[in-house]
Amino acid sequence: MSRPSWVAPVGFALAIAGTAVATYLTIAHFTSPTVLACASTGVVNCERVTTSAQSKVFGIPVAVLGLAWFVAMSGLCSPWAWRAHASWIRTARLVSAGTAMAFVLWLVYAELFVIHAICLWCTVIHVLAFGLFVIVVLYGTEPAD
Amino acid sequence: MTNRTAQRKRAATANAKAGNGRRRSNVRGRRPATSRYRTGAVAAIGAVLAIVVAMVAFSAVNDDGSPATPGTGRGGKVVAAVTSVPASALDAVGGGQGIAPPVAIAAGAPPLTAGGKPQILYVGAEYCPFCASERWPLVIALSRFGTFSGLGLTTSSASDVYPSTPTLTFHGSTYTSDVISFTAVETNTNQLVGQGYEPLETPTAEQQRLLQTFDAPPYTSQAGVIPFTLIGNRFVITGSSYPPDVLQGKTWGQIASALSDPSSPIAKQVLAAANMLTAAFCELTSGQPSNVCTAPGVTSAAASLPSA
Repeated sequence: MSRPSWVAPVGFALAIAGTAVATYLTIAHFTSPTVLACASTGVVNCERVTTSAQSKVFGIPVAVLGLAWFVAMSGLCSPWAWRAHASWIRTARLVSAGTAMAFVLWLVYAELFVIHAICLWCTVIHVLAFGLFVIVVLYGTEPAD
Repeated sequence: MTNRTAQRKRAATANAKAGNGRRRSNVRGRRPATSRYRTGAVAAIGAVLAIVVAMVAFSAVNDDGSPATPGTGRGGKVVAAVTSVPASALDAVGGGQGIAPPVAIAAGAPPLTAGGKPQILYVGAEYCPFCASERWPLVIALSRFGTFSGLGLTTSSASDVYPSTPTLTFHGSTYTSDVISFTAVETNTNQLVGQGYEPLETPTAEQQRLLQTFDAPPYTSQAGVIPFTLIGNRFVITGSSYPPDVLQGKTWGQIASALSDPSSPIAKQVLAAANMLTAAFCELTSGQPSNVCTAPGVTSAAASLPSA
């Protein structure tokens, strides 16, 4: 069964958009969380989330991990990669998307039940990651035509 | 010839059957596998969505705005908010107005330390309304230097002034920090037993000695005032840094939410007191951590600190 023609451009666009937002969050992490265009009162509070204990995993900022993942996915979901016949690319894409989705679920759990605040920019990242996950699990394992 | 022809026909038929069989087998093997994968993929996507929806729904159900109760998840939400007040809110409030500064202890007093780190000693009681108000900024300030675990929620006495002021309690909590040590003694609960309140924790002999020395004139107008906060033998605070009336009629959740809004009356009092405490703690830590001690809100409050 052939892969729909929209998969490659949409997948690549999601990865590039995720890279842009993750770059923004990484800059905010290393400068000041107050640069984030996001409310800092009530439940929606980017600053509380990005400065929480959960904003780092093994000492690595989650924003940096997100940026690294989206950069990698930009490569794995590039038009070249979608056309490639190497099976390792399909495997890497699927494993990477699945791992990231599990990580996103943990982050959502941390926001809702540990930090008790929602970061809008993080949510944008989560939605983009979910979009990539959907595309990859549905179409990313099919060999190139 | 007839036999050979018959054999060929049988062989051809057998091959054809075998071939058809293989093709059928291939088709059957490929289509179901693809179908199974597609079903699994859709199930995985659905599972992710279901988990997210379940988490959001569970979170919403447990955030109905009802008053917090100790030991519940909502209590955890309040503690999380108090121990991670946005730096921007603290900076916006700065030193505030009307915050009672700590009293400086005359130079020459030996530094109060524990484990090689400057020590902050708090002595209070759960029934005490001024302790109730002072714990909010104390927890906020200490959370900038280290981490609490096991903080609980309670109220001051229902039959004292500023009745049932919502607050946290240090009883059962632990505090860890690389730069300071914190010891808290909650002497009584908020439960009346006879003519007094139920005993909870007892100061050690050394803590009693410090109380007798610094919880007395000239550091306070009268001896034995609580809350008593001794900051490394450099500063002492007796009573609340701000009037508790700003907390009256509020729930823990309302107070915790207000702390993120620097324009709220609660934040103006509590965060200003927290900045004052932070500035005093920075005097003990030689300005560490630097991002805390050089924050605009802290440097603004430091201007009001007395010198020994």
